[in-house]
Amino acid sequence: MTAAAEILEELATARQERPSTLAEAAEVLRRADRDGERVLFLGGGTELALGTPPSGVEVILATEQLERVVEHAPLDQIVTVEGGVRLASLQDLLARSGQMLALDAPWAARATLGGLVATNAFGPRRTRYGSIRDLIIGISIVRADGTEARGGGKVVKNVAGFDLPKLMVGSLGTLGLIATVTFRLHPRPETERTVLFSDLDADAVRQVVLTLREAQLEPAAVAALVREGGDDLGVRFDGRFELGVRFEGFEAGVRQQAMKLLDLATRQRWRAESLGAEIARAFWARHDDARESPAGFRAKLAAQPTDLERVANAAIGSLFTALEVPRCVVYPVLGLAFVAGEVRVPGQVAAAVTAAREAVPEGSVVLHAAPAEVRAAVDVWGRPPAALPLMKAVKQRLDPARRLAPGRFVGGL
Amino acid sequence: MSSPSLVTPAPAVEPIPAPPSVIDRLIAVVGERNVIREPVDLRTYECDALTSFRAAPSVVVLPASTEEVAAAVRIAVDAGMPIVPRGAGTGLSGGALPVPGCMLLGLSRMKRILEVNLEDGWIRVQPGVINLDVSKEISAAGYYYAPDPSSQSVCTIGGNVAENSGGAHCLKYGFTVNHVRGVRMVTAAGEVVDIGGPVLDGPGYDLLGVVVGSEGTLGIVTEVVLRILRKPEATRTFFATFPSTDEAGNCVSEIIGTGIVPAAIEMMDRLAIQAAVAATGLDWPDVGAALLMDVDGCTAEAEHTSEVAVRIARRTGALEVRVPKNDDERMLMWKGRKSAFAAMGRLAPNYIVQDGVIPRKDISRVLGEIARLSQERGLRVANVFHAGDGNLHPLVLYDARVPGEEHAAEEMAGEILRICIRYGGSITGEHGVGADKAPYMAEMFSDADLDTMAKVRCAFDPGTTFNPSKVFPTPRLCGDRPGPYRPHSTELAGLADRG
Repeated sequence: MTAAAEILEELATARQERPSTLAEAAEVLRRADRDGERVLFLGGGTELALGTPPSGVEVILATEQLERVVEHAPLDQIVTVEGGVRLASLQDLLARSGQMLALDAPWAARATLGGLVATNAFGPRRTRYGSIRDLIIGISIVRADGTEARGGGKVVKNVAGFDLPKLMVGSLGTLGLIATVTFRLHPRPETERTVLFSDLDADAVRQVVLTLREAQLEPAAVAALVREGGDDLGVRFDGRFELGVRFEGFEAGVRQQAMKLLDLATRQRWRAESLGAEIARAFWARHDDARESPAGFRAKLAAQPTDLERVANAAIGSLFTALEVPRCVVYPVLGLAFVAGEVRVPGQVAAAVTAAREAVPEGSVVLHAAPAEVRAAVDVWGRPPAALPLMKAVKQRLDPARRLAPGRFVGGL
Repeated sequence: MSSPSLVTPAPAVEPIPAPPSVIDRLIAVVGERNVIREPVDLRTYECDALTSFRAAPSVVVLPASTEEVAAAVRIAVDAGMPIVPRGAGTGLSGGALPVPGCMLLGLSRMKRILEVNLEDGWIRVQPGVINLDVSKEISAAGYYYAPDPSSQSVCTIGGNVAENSGGAHCLKYGFTVNHVRGVRMVTAAGEVVDIGGPVLDGPGYDLLGVVVGSEGTLGIVTEVVLRILRKPEATRTFFATFPSTDEAGNCVSEIIGTGIVPAAIEMMDRLAIQAAVAATGLDWPDVGAALLMDVDGCTAEAEHTSEVAVRIARRTGALEVRVPKNDDERMLMWKGRKSAFAAMGRLAPNYIVQDGVIPRKDISRVLGEIARLSQERGLRVANVFHAGDGNLHPLVLYDARVPGEEHAAEEMAGEILRICIRYGGSITGEHGVGADKAPYMAEMFSDADLDTMAKVRCAFDPGTTFNPSKVFPTPRLCGDRPGPYRPHSTELAGLADRG
């Protein structure tokens, strides 16, 4: 059973609420407040396994019927959606105006914008466009007590008041319901091209990243996958990666950048080729598989980009050894990576998590999914952040009775 | 809500002296010369670049380290003194305006660059470092710090963090908040805490997102980790003139509609052009509007987008398109744009710089409304703005020697903000709320919105020690229970009354 299924089963006894308007959603929360009920927000359920399973949830507020696009102003390049709108359906709508939300997070067909904000989800385009915090410009929330409040607005440039939109990013349903979100949009690129480095060790991946920067190239997406170095017994980690560098934009610029990168690769004796459309799609489909295929265990690693070699050998390597059918995606420009797989011996996986954490003392290893036995052995979030007392104070002010996803987040928030 | 102040307050009364015991403790921490307490010296700090509000602090402390800041904060908290932080004092919203009886923490001595990490793309600096000095430090290596407020040669990073400063190039590159990776902050408890850091995605709430732009109300930032960028391969600039702001506005919309993301696209109207010409001697013609645009990126992309943009400018009615022949010419064009505010002094004895935001598509309509307002009130308005993101900077010109004109100008500047709110925009795009616009917050946000923000503030600073009477329209105390607004003690004492 996947961790998410386990949690859903645990929650089966909770009352399900499916409000179809924001007013109804607020009413659900007001009632829960009056009755002292604990509430879990449910979007597409794609990251349900993230965090410590919340305890004693009595109400599940599902946002599936909060799926209206409130406003799309193509000329202003903004969109406001209700929290239950699915990412893929929003992208379809925006594509008709030649626009996109520069967010290519996994499970786009199921994942909701509210859930994506709550989990700070991202995909390879973060390399160029930043994360949700760089795209979100406004939010309306429903607080634990049913109060509707908003922050930010619908203009990109706005410094009036505290940035509540950013506070909600990654807050995992512990501060309030994400009712509507306003994002800035980007033009859909005219064309794209991927340059693939087929066999690099971690140090070479790091050098390619530095070369990109030195050469003033501006890729939209850079992702490394662990090379299929396995045999019949499964994937082994031999420290080697394939690295995809995707350029997006107008034809002239995309062509120039791809050519320049190939030229630099030749000089450095890195094996690289500019992929045809179909082969490029295949590479990015492998990337998506590594991110999205069901897994009993999934961890996100964060470190300084230049620490990649240490991360690869000590962190990714030890997790690969402990997991079955392991897979891994590295975003080397960002210093972020995901490792997923199945757990055979929980003790070994827990030990690998500990080893991975020791390998990135300034970074973090967060478990996005893990069976109970692993979670019992190692904390899902790792070492508490230095600012935990301030985070607790924020939680205390916005959800004083601790009724929203109690205990799910860092340090029991 | 209380109505916005419409008159220049009378010159500040004598500063309220700080208790001798406080002075002694501060001297023990930062040394005699870094504790300013003579009334004549305190006057230097009675306002920032918004000079219509003035109040002298009780004492000014100039710490040199995080530890000294923490000690000073504890001394102020013990004594029940409010704390107002201050960087270079270039703010235009009165964010560094002292409140009577306060300790003003001047961070200008903390101006060291602590660590540069080009490979991982960040730099760690103290808050008193000047914005432009960050780019200077890394320029030889081919890097720069993107946010570029017009005051970048004098304003400090600490102030930029407080205000979430923007600049002409934030259309493509984002604001200060998009470039701050982490801060070290002294809390209201006098403790030192690190929020964020060089590594992305630390677990927990995005407190950094709230601290940046909180205008000194949540804590005192003593170190900042900034993201730095590699300089783009090429920048292409053009300057185009138009009969009126209508054509210029259409040009902006069309350029952006084709999928181009300019690094910057700035508009000036006739008065603003005249002022820039008077100040710099540029040979810009006397026309209704002008656009100054940068595109950057790899050479082929910059050339392509620049060509497309120039074609669009011609098609949408440009009278003339000038492309700088070299970098010097380009810098001169930008100098003209960046000097536009200061140049207003050549057109009128006094002016108010307004800062509001509207949806980009409504630029022409809003400029029309402002022009009508200008005619009705008999006051000239010059418009300089970041057209790409709808950030208007109307400059209301007046002569303070004419009885009633200052009042009328302030009233009109306020009306412009109300237009921005009516169009679904914002009362500030980059200058901050500060003391100046706090009353308008209640027009832009509901009670519940403000209450939610106030709860966040109370989480950081339950005693409202840091920069009280800024941002929020009505000073309030942090109760443990939800409840109606309660006036702040300074307000009860009649000290923070806005009239």
